[in-house]
Amino acid sequence: MANVLEVENLSVDYIIAHGRHVRAVDNVSFTIKEGESLGLAGESGCGKSTIANSLLRLHKPPAIISNGKIKINGSDILAMNINELNMFRWNEASMVFQSAMNCLNPVVTLEKQFFELFKTHGITRNKVEAKKMAMDLLELVGIPGDRIKNYPHQFSGGMRQRAVIAMALALKPKLLILDEPTTALDTVVQRDILTRIYELKKELNFSILFITHDISLMMEFCDNIAVMYAGKIVEKASSDKILNAPCHPYAFGLKNSFPSLQGKVEYMEGIKGNPLDLTNIPLGCRFQDRCFNASKTCFEIEPSVTTSSNGFYQCHHPLGNLVEVKHEK
Amino acid sequence: MKYVFKRLGFYLIAFIAAITLNFFLPRLMPGDPVQMYLSELYQSGGRIDEATIRAVEELFGFNSSEPLIISYLSYVKNIFTGNWGYSFSNYPQTVLQAMSRGLGWTLFLMGSGLVISFIINTFLGILVAWKRGSKLDTGITVTGQIIANIPSVIIALFLSYTLAYSGIFPRGYAVTPLMVHANTFEFVKDVAYHAFLPVTAIVMMSLGGIMGMRANMINQLGEDYITMGVAKGIHDKKIMFAYCARNALLPVVTTFAMQIGFMLGGSLIIELVFNYPGLGKVMLSAINGRDYPLMQGILLMSTIMMLSANFIADIVILLLDPRIRTEGKRG
Amino acid sequence: MKRILSTIGSFLKNSPKTSIGITLILIMLILTFGAGLFTDHDPLHRYKGEYHSPPSAEHVLGTTRLGRDVLAQTLYGGRTSISVGVFAGAIAVSISLVVGVTAGYFGGIVDNIISAIINIVMVIPQVVLLLIVASMLGGSSPILIATLIGFTSWPFGARVIRAQTMSLRSREFIYSAETLGETKLRRLFVEIMPNMLSMISSAFVGTVIYAIMAQSFLEFIGFGDPLSITWGTMLYNAQNTGALSSGIWWEVLGPSVAIITLGAGLTLINFSIDEISNPKLRAQRFMNSYYKELKKNKKRKEKSQLKLGGNNG
Repeated sequence: MANVLEVENLSVDYIIAHGRHVRAVDNVSFTIKEGESLGLAGESGCGKSTIANSLLRLHKPPAIISNGKIKINGSDILAMNINELNMFRWNEASMVFQSAMNCLNPVVTLEKQFFELFKTHGITRNKVEAKKMAMDLLELVGIPGDRIKNYPHQFSGGMRQRAVIAMALALKPKLLILDEPTTALDTVVQRDILTRIYELKKELNFSILFITHDISLMMEFCDNIAVMYAGKIVEKASSDKILNAPCHPYAFGLKNSFPSLQGKVEYMEGIKGNPLDLTNIPLGCRFQDRCFNASKTCFEIEPSVTTSSNGFYQCHHPLGNLVEVKHEK
Repeated sequence: MKYVFKRLGFYLIAFIAAITLNFFLPRLMPGDPVQMYLSELYQSGGRIDEATIRAVEELFGFNSSEPLIISYLSYVKNIFTGNWGYSFSNYPQTVLQAMSRGLGWTLFLMGSGLVISFIINTFLGILVAWKRGSKLDTGITVTGQIIANIPSVIIALFLSYTLAYSGIFPRGYAVTPLMVHANTFEFVKDVAYHAFLPVTAIVMMSLGGIMGMRANMINQLGEDYITMGVAKGIHDKKIMFAYCARNALLPVVTTFAMQIGFMLGGSLIIELVFNYPGLGKVMLSAINGRDYPLMQGILLMSTIMMLSANFIADIVILLLDPRIRTEGKRG
Repeated sequence: MKRILSTIGSFLKNSPKTSIGITLILIMLILTFGAGLFTDHDPLHRYKGEYHSPPSAEHVLGTTRLGRDVLAQTLYGGRTSISVGVFAGAIAVSISLVVGVTAGYFGGIVDNIISAIINIVMVIPQVVLLLIVASMLGGSSPILIATLIGFTSWPFGARVIRAQTMSLRSREFIYSAETLGETKLRRLFVEIMPNMLSMISSAFVGTVIYAIMAQSFLEFIGFGDPLSITWGTMLYNAQNTGALSSGIWWEVLGPSVAIITLGAGLTLINFSIDEISNPKLRAQRFMNSYYKELKKNKKRKEKSQLKLGGNNG
């Protein structure tokens, strides 16, 4: 099976003053296969959205891609000129942004926006044909076709998000990037939309990069999960493994931060400490201040990447087959 | 539709406020304008008797025998029925008649100035937003703003000295005096020739609008729908115009309408320097002749011009912004 | 202390707008308030026989119709013009501040009333009103002009300040201050106002620019104090003594250049205040200098490669 997405040694910097950079994404590598869904988890500010934006070169100044390779369906994204990039975008990979509220041009009807998309990518210049295609797409996500004539502000939040998803799938891309697609919605709608996306994934056979801070959602919907901390991927493994036997203490802590719906009320262990200040990166492992398992080595030497089954991790003292530890009060 | 009525209602209130201001203004000033006028009349050899005093009082709208509220209400009624009083310095012309001479030319001048400066500002605004941060951007924005901040007096004087004095453009007037034009086309040419410098001055005075458009464009550029548009593979130029500019225009139209008041003041001065026969000239003679009713008439008229311009802007926004158009209508 | 100076230093170096703006303003202030250092002539003294004479070594900017030295007039007159501008600006900004903050902070009915007033006042053409009131007062002194301008130009600033106050008011740190038990007034002064500093200074500078402009209008029409010398009255005199038609350009040059220079300086300062307070604009500058560095390095590389190639030839 071919790789739909290949990210190699990607580094993204933010320029904050004359001659000073902050590295938001540090030497990150991962792949997504055809038909796979990968979840990218982590705290706010860990760099996940930055990665998502860089994939289609949508990152805005003061961010710059300082290093690395990005290949989607075999095409080198960073080597393309602007025309190639414009044809490529949306066609082979598309994105659903966090705030669907503001994603659509407020002064243009949905119909026109779909038509513009089809025209730009050479799918059709025929208005009637475009309208039919657009209406079909809307039906696919559960919006009545006749609403094609409406303006974005005439939709409710959930419907707008669906419309955006319909638009994202319009050109039948091979990779769909979802950047916190449901954060702004209530839980019932969340579930609805995600279920639909996954049904469509099976029907149309695309891969998904799912970015969110809600690990519980991810565990349900994703095949694999990559956990990020302070700009690095600290562990990548199948969601089952992350759920049951994570190697990295951070992944462990994250998974343990979600109370279960059933069962006894128990004392929850969070993750102590605060997110790392990226302008002040310490020697050794980045997670040192917050790790319950840290040793002297962790404060001196940065751990190297170790591959495991279907993934990798970066830790001096991986948790191995530790059964989850719960504190009972 | 509700929107239109709301706006009209506001303008009505504003107009009444202007009328009220007009009514109370002479009464609020220290010193009695009636007395001042009478003393000047006396000094220039006029005769003061009971009848004159009464006539002056009435011209001013001061009727000491009536209670204030009655005077006020009859003043308001008069304004709405077109009785704006008599012009002192142009007696027996009424205020409206005295203004009508100049109104047409001022509307022409300001109208052309408005349209041209709107077009120039919008395009330059889009251009500098597109190339923001570049030397071109800084150059145009800063220079434009500096020019706009120069008092229109100086702009007009400068244009006058350089281009009019050297004979390239006429020194003043709206049309060559005493000329009978062969046909309409010749007339239009002559008018344009004479209007060139004043309109240029108006446009230069309004260059501040570039910054407004640029700021709006830059604000829009930070919005998510722009990112999504780029992600969809839409070309740069299309993003700039169809996405960004289209949305950035809306607040610009509103600010523009607000700026008309400022433009009006400046254009009056420009008219003075160029001896243009518009309201500015009428204003000047009113000031020199202490013709208060005429001055007040000009104030009301210019307020009406402002309100109308604002109203037109409101309609334009209604046409451009579907969110206002479909207010309350959910699909 | 040294650190503060060096930060200011590097800031000035990187922002030409600020440095040029401050320089221009300083030049104008020095020239006008230190007028005696730059010219020996008395602005009011009439030099017999030197009517409307062109610039010469004796009179650097020539003389007016009455034989007065134009340069001296420009310099000494500048003091009044600048003072009036600043005074009017101060009045206008104070009023806008009080009105705007009250409306924005207290909201509700107070806001509705004040907003309605602001909107109505804004619709009435300021300049025309100014002219009429000036006329009714029958001529004026500079102080009167300053007061007049101050009292008619506050609406613009008030609107902006109101908007800013409202947006600040609903920000989180205000709510937290409330939770901590700070009183409404204290929150107003200690939390909200400092954040509006940039807006207030920007409004102040803008109003001073407008005040100088309005001043020149009024005086040009004839409302200035005929006995005082200011930039506006100089233009008035020039116009009335037929300078325009006789081609006496130097009489107009003095005050015009002065006003333009001061205006330019103030405008530049306004730009730099914007830049300081708006992080996005700052980020833009960093990006630009970053790309410049990249270009420079690329060019350097190319140059050294060429050199190598040349040596082999």
